[in-house]
Amino acid sequence: MADSLKDKLDQVLLNVQKPARYIGGELNSVIKDKQDVDIRFAFCFPDTYEVGMSHLGMKILYSLLNDRDDVWCERVFAPWLDFEEQMKKHNIPLYGLESLEPLSEFDIIGFTLQYELSFTNILNMLKLGNVPLLCSERKGLKNLVVAGGPCACNPEPLVDFIDLFMLGEGEEVMHELMDLYKASVKANDTKETFLQKASQIGGVYVPSLYDVTYNEDGTIKEIIAKENAPLPVQKRIIKDFDSVYYPEKFIVPFIGTVHDRAIVEVLRGCIRGCRFCQAGFLYRPFREKNSDTLIKNGKSLCETTGYEEISLSSLSTSDYSQLESLLTEFIDYTNDNQVNLTLPSLRVDNFSEELLEKIASVRKSGLTFAPEAGTQRLRDVINKNVLESDVLNSCTIAFAGGYTSVKLYFMLGLPTETLDDIKGIIELAQKVVNAYYEMENRPKGKGVQVTVSVSTFVPKPFTPFQYEPQDTLEMIDEKQKHLVQSVTSKKINVKYHDSKTSVLEAVFARGDRRLGKVMLKAYQDGCYFDSWDECFHYGKWMKAFEECGIDPAFYANRKRSYEEVLPWSHLDYGVSERFLQNEHQKAVASTTTKNCRLQCSACGANKLLGGACFEY
Amino acid sequence: MNTKQIPISEMINIRVFYNKKSRAKYISHLDITRCMQRALKRAGLPIWYTEGFNPHIYLTFALPLSLGYESESESMDLRLVTEVPFEEVKDCLNRALPPDIRVTKVQLQKNKPDVIKTALYEITLKSDTVTGQVLKDCLDHMFSEEKIEVVKKTKKGNKMIDIKPDLEIQSIEVLDYAIHIELIASAGIEKNINPTLMTDELIGKYNLEDIQTSVMRKAIYDANGNEFE
Ligand code: SF4
Repeated sequence: MADSLKDKLDQVLLNVQKPARYIGGELNSVIKDKQDVDIRFAFCFPDTYEVGMSHLGMKILYSLLNDRDDVWCERVFAPWLDFEEQMKKHNIPLYGLESLEPLSEFDIIGFTLQYELSFTNILNMLKLGNVPLLCSERKGLKNLVVAGGPCACNPEPLVDFIDLFMLGEGEEVMHELMDLYKASVKANDTKETFLQKASQIGGVYVPSLYDVTYNEDGTIKEIIAKENAPLPVQKRIIKDFDSVYYPEKFIVPFIGTVHDRAIVEVLRGCIRGCRFCQAGFLYRPFREKNSDTLIKNGKSLCETTGYEEISLSSLSTSDYSQLESLLTEFIDYTNDNQVNLTLPSLRVDNFSEELLEKIASVRKSGLTFAPEAGTQRLRDVINKNVLESDVLNSCTIAFAGGYTSVKLYFMLGLPTETLDDIKGIIELAQKVVNAYYEMENRPKGKGVQVTVSVSTFVPKPFTPFQYEPQDTLEMIDEKQKHLVQSVTSKKINVKYHDSKTSVLEAVFARGDRRLGKVMLKAYQDGCYFDSWDECFHYGKWMKAFEECGIDPAFYANRKRSYEEVLPWSHLDYGVSERFLQNEHQKAVASTTTKNCRLQCSACGANKLLGGACFEY
Repeated sequence: MNTKQIPISEMINIRVFYNKKSRAKYISHLDITRCMQRALKRAGLPIWYTEGFNPHIYLTFALPLSLGYESESESMDLRLVTEVPFEEVKDCLNRALPPDIRVTKVQLQKNKPDVIKTALYEITLKSDTVTGQVLKDCLDHMFSEEKIEVVKKTKKGNKMIDIKPDLEIQSIEVLDYAIHIELIASAGIEKNINPTLMTDELIGKYNLEDIQTSVMRKAIYDANGNEFE
């Protein structure tokens, strides 16, 4: 075929950076005959190839879908600006990397929602794929647009563009949805009929089946379900996590990606309950795999990819109950097979001597700690169970082991924060510096470098801080200045990010349906790749808000009462509102909550498993 | 597998020849190294790893290939710590490689990469508007001149070089709107002339528009015109 997409690509790919990210053909990518399948599924990651290819969820669902004979799942990423320009110039639509066929050819187009600032890339990808942006413009079952991932916990800003959302974990619901889609196509169902049927699948949220009304002050009055749609919609969860589907192979990219290695998923959920951390609440309850399963997963991946590195994925690997046996066996395997095991910082207090020695032989990633707040008072507010002595002890051990630089992560703008807490950040960093110089046999002539990396706090749905206002830009600027002025030593290096992106993140994290038009307007004005500094246009965004008559401060900087109907109040992630309110009050009173393994705090998530989370 | 005790003298130095075509032409030389290391690892062959803190597969390539070129004559050298029939090495590797990279031959290293002096390329120029005859006439005209001066980008900046002495056209096949050229160009560590230098000059000099160029490396030769083995 003279003008096939492949020929066109051959004309332009050498004009762009890293062409390998646009051509597929990697080892373990799946090629099928399109005549042999019922459903063509485009798995879209709304960011660059390097970011998307590092994402574990995508690898899992790609393999899971392709293991079905009736589905062919392909990958689609957001093209970088240089390639996008070439695509427009040469009339190349966005396409699937496996078949090199246009996005508009696909039956189902699925997006994974990992962070709010990737939302506009969804619009750009649909547009580049010649797929109508609005749900209302896509009439039939073809080009059904679906989404899942953590940001689906408040999908309201996206409901104009996405036909249905899958809440929670995707491994089971994805199969159910594929079966239904296939049956609906066979039965010649209309899109409306299909969506009505889909809403009956557990974990599927069809926004068009819910009406939202508003009060005069702009808050939500009521959310009503229509046509038998469930209220609330409960997220899906894998009850038996040890036997959940896990890929035997990963696609091996040609170019380096952010995480280019084998990964085993140790556990889901988190026992800790840090009050700012959305993931900690969204993925409850805590579940883990047996170490045998993990070893099997890891070996299979190493053998099928040839990767020279493997890492353990979880929210908190130190909390894995079989850590000692897992590490013992894994380190033996990786040492024998020229594979590097990447370990996160671990609490190692009760390990055997032998294992400690083995761990010491493993290359560690850089030394990082996340105290998140500068004073014990504020750490109690956020329920971050890290003591100053924990940080100092770990640093001292690391310094003795030859480390000379440490990175400490903090947040600015946490609820109840005062200027003293900010000064406390620098004081803690200074104590780390002092710990180095107090060490008797420290390496001669070598200094220490402590990097303080500060991000801006964003209140998120399904956390106890969902009621809290975000600091205004002015307040954050003021606090950043105070932080920098507090620096007492040249050994301390402060890094912070432009807080303007955090404002947008806060607006969309807790936004409602009225934001769809702002997003569309900003996108049409050229806003996408918002998480990339060089592409972020704060002015254009503010203009879009103004033109739509919407005040971003209403979403970002307003305190919500416990009585307010929140935009996501018709969605159920297991954790009860009463628990979140209770945690919020405890936060304000700087009272901590015990972790789930020590004591159940009755958050409500155990109902998803149908029993207690732990035996005490 | 512990391979560290085996003396280098007992290792088997092999040369693996492979094709790199279609989608694989977009893999850069740097990335091909990693791609091959992983393939070797997957293949489960008794490969020698370098020693030290961060052992890696010992692997060298005879002649880097430009990004975007296809090739039928790539080769890489590596060491086996125990004997494996060459056919088996080939089959194992082909099972482990992505579809657009195929091993064609495995053998002992007969000569060193520094014997390489030239390479044979097949170049296709294709167009929607310019006929093959016009393309051939332009090419003939360019080669009838005393020099073919082109700008070569180097680390120290651009400089003008005459590439005519480094090029030798073997054959030209004229199609309706395309030509195939077989070209021998200097190659190797001393002087490596990229055929794109010639095609870019042709396109620029005669204002040829909408030309698509594709290049395939067909063979690599020593000073006597014998194939690199
Ligand atoms: S129900 Fe109890 S143990 Fe289970 S996640 Fe909630 S607080 Fe933790």
